[in-house]
Amino acid sequence: MQPQLKSKVRCLDREVGEVSKIIMDPLSHEVSHLVVSMNGTGERQVPMGAVQVVTDGLVQLRSSSSEVMGMEPFKREDYVTLHEVEIPGLEKQIHVTPGEVLVPFPELERNVKRRAFFANLTYVTGLFIGLPLVYPVMKFLMKPMYAPLDNGWLKIGNIGKIKTEDIGIQFQYKRKIKEVYMPEAEIEKNVWLVKATPAVLEKVYQGKDVEFLDASGKAIWTNKKDMPYLAFSGKCPHLGCAYKWRKHKVLGQVFLCPCHLSIYDASGKVLDGPAPRSLDMLPIQVTAGGEVQIIDMEFKAGTKSQTRIV
Amino acid sequence: MSDTPSTGTQPTVAEKIFTFVDERVGLKLLAAKMLNESVPGGSRWAYVFGSILLFIFIMQAITGVLLMFYYVPTADHAYASTQYILHDVDYGWFLLSYHFWGSTAMVVCVFAHMSQVFLWGAYKKPRELIWLVGLALFALVMGFGFTGYLLPWDQRAYWATTVGVEIMDKMPVLGDFLARFLKGGPTPGQMTLSRFFVIHVMVLPAALIALAGLHLFLFRCAGPAGPFRGAPAELKAKTDYFFPRQIWKDVVGMAVVFACISAMAFWEPVVLLEEATPDPGDYHPEPEWYFLFIFQHLRLKMFSGELGQFLGSMGLPGLLGMMLVLLPFFDRNPERNIFKRPFALIGWVMLTASILLFTVSAIINRDFLD
Repeated sequence: MQPQLKSKVRCLDREVGEVSKIIMDPLSHEVSHLVVSMNGTGERQVPMGAVQVVTDGLVQLRSSSSEVMGMEPFKREDYVTLHEVEIPGLEKQIHVTPGEVLVPFPELERNVKRRAFFANLTYVTGLFIGLPLVYPVMKFLMKPMYAPLDNGWLKIGNIGKIKTEDIGIQFQYKRKIKEVYMPEAEIEKNVWLVKATPAVLEKVYQGKDVEFLDASGKAIWTNKKDMPYLAFSGKCPHLGCAYKWRKHKVLGQVFLCPCHLSIYDASGKVLDGPAPRSLDMLPIQVTAGGEVQIIDMEFKAGTKSQTRIV
Repeated sequence: MSDTPSTGTQPTVAEKIFTFVDERVGLKLLAAKMLNESVPGGSRWAYVFGSILLFIFIMQAITGVLLMFYYVPTADHAYASTQYILHDVDYGWFLLSYHFWGSTAMVVCVFAHMSQVFLWGAYKKPRELIWLVGLALFALVMGFGFTGYLLPWDQRAYWATTVGVEIMDKMPVLGDFLARFLKGGPTPGQMTLSRFFVIHVMVLPAALIALAGLHLFLFRCAGPAGPFRGAPAELKAKTDYFFPRQIWKDVVGMAVVFACISAMAFWEPVVLLEEATPDPGDYHPEPEWYFLFIFQHLRLKMFSGELGQFLGSMGLPGLLGMMLVLLPFFDRNPERNIFKRPFALIGWVMLTASILLFTVSAIINRDFLD
């Protein structure tokens, strides 16, 4: 057991005094020395090696009293108390009880069941306040997240701009949008149009018309497979960057996305790069006068399947 | 017998105030406990990064609050108000540039601090909790960088964010919800700016203050780990107190970092690109430099396709994150000497080298993209 303060200290021949202080090693967290107050003749610093046995209230040393008198006098200025220095974990190692200071335990607090009841009451009140707030707060935060889709036709230009077949031509258009409380803004968007030869059309449609459905499953529009004009969303299906029509060293004229180098042919099929699906087709109409209209749709990027988000 | 001090001088005003507060608060004891923490093996320059990070955060908070006097977080005013700060408000260019370069300094010092802790084995028992809270702090710092980057609302800001949030969308189950939550809708817009602003100036700072406080508290509970070499007697003989020797090194570190950030703010002040538009035009989207290594390795062939993209952007980083979290639990070897921990040393070298490699290659790649 650890020596206690105020324990009597006895040498081989006689009792010499009592333990007045304990010195601990800050690295090993063990008691290294005792300071023994030598019955009025000063204090001596006694290493723990000199202790033979510690019992309750008594420390027995293995030296004689004269040997102890000859030990290091205790120099208070070489030490600091635990209040003046921070040694992590030291207090856990001390079992020395420097006396106990007591205060009366209030009569009202002696009932354990009562304490448990009030603790539980606190939790219930917390739930009473918190739980009803969860749903409104969730709805509050989620308000703009699932907005309805706009299926209006937008005029983007004239077919006359396309002179060659199987070449990507960019059509830039302006779209009016009203985002929540913001003033109505006009944003610039772009689509890529391709006047496709039958071979390219076949690659895209593979013999089937493409139907566009709204959220409830009703058909909005069908792109007929023999209509030669293809409209591709201006956003790369990989991560949404705007891609370009470029000449590639090996693959010829292609759609190339500068972000991660996805490459598509004139039919929108992926030739190279990380794109998970081919370019997204948009509903397209061409009037007799050559005016091109599309429905502006956006699809989630990075997925193999196509999910419309705008 | 008089018990006035033998010098006979009257206490100064400062001393009187100190004594007044001390009687009521225990200031002397508090100061002693705060400052007299023993650092086994002595103070070291290697230990300065934690304090430097605290300094950088405080500077970011100060410059950030100052910027908020003029910045307006709406899509129609964000760009103009940022340009106003840069061109019209006195020293606005310096404060914004300091804030911008401060975020770079923060990431660099976070990496230095994490590396130092890792190499010194200071994540091992009994310091596992400090390490875990530290990883959470690391995530917060990345979050700060990501959310703050959008606020100027120029092309660079808008597109880096768009691509970053789309990557988050790829997370299974929660991805779509999380991406829509951050964007405030299906596509980036005003709602995104509002959310990023609130997260950047309120949510993340509150979380950082709370976790940093916890981090410091846990650190004081466990104490500094000290050098990874040396006999206990040797370490005890060389023990310093936190004040003054470690504090002095910390302060010098802070001054150096302040000088570096200020120098960068002078020589490379923030310059905005054009205002954000939904069509990137000729601009090639790129994230902040400290995300470039992920950006670059997503270009590798092995990460093509939906599964590949998920693995590259979330799977692999997620795995690395898990390994870091579990590190103190599967590395129970009490040995802290890095030269006797070959796996740790090689692992750190490989990770650092590959991050550097991918970052540099992303920068070189820019020139090949047109």
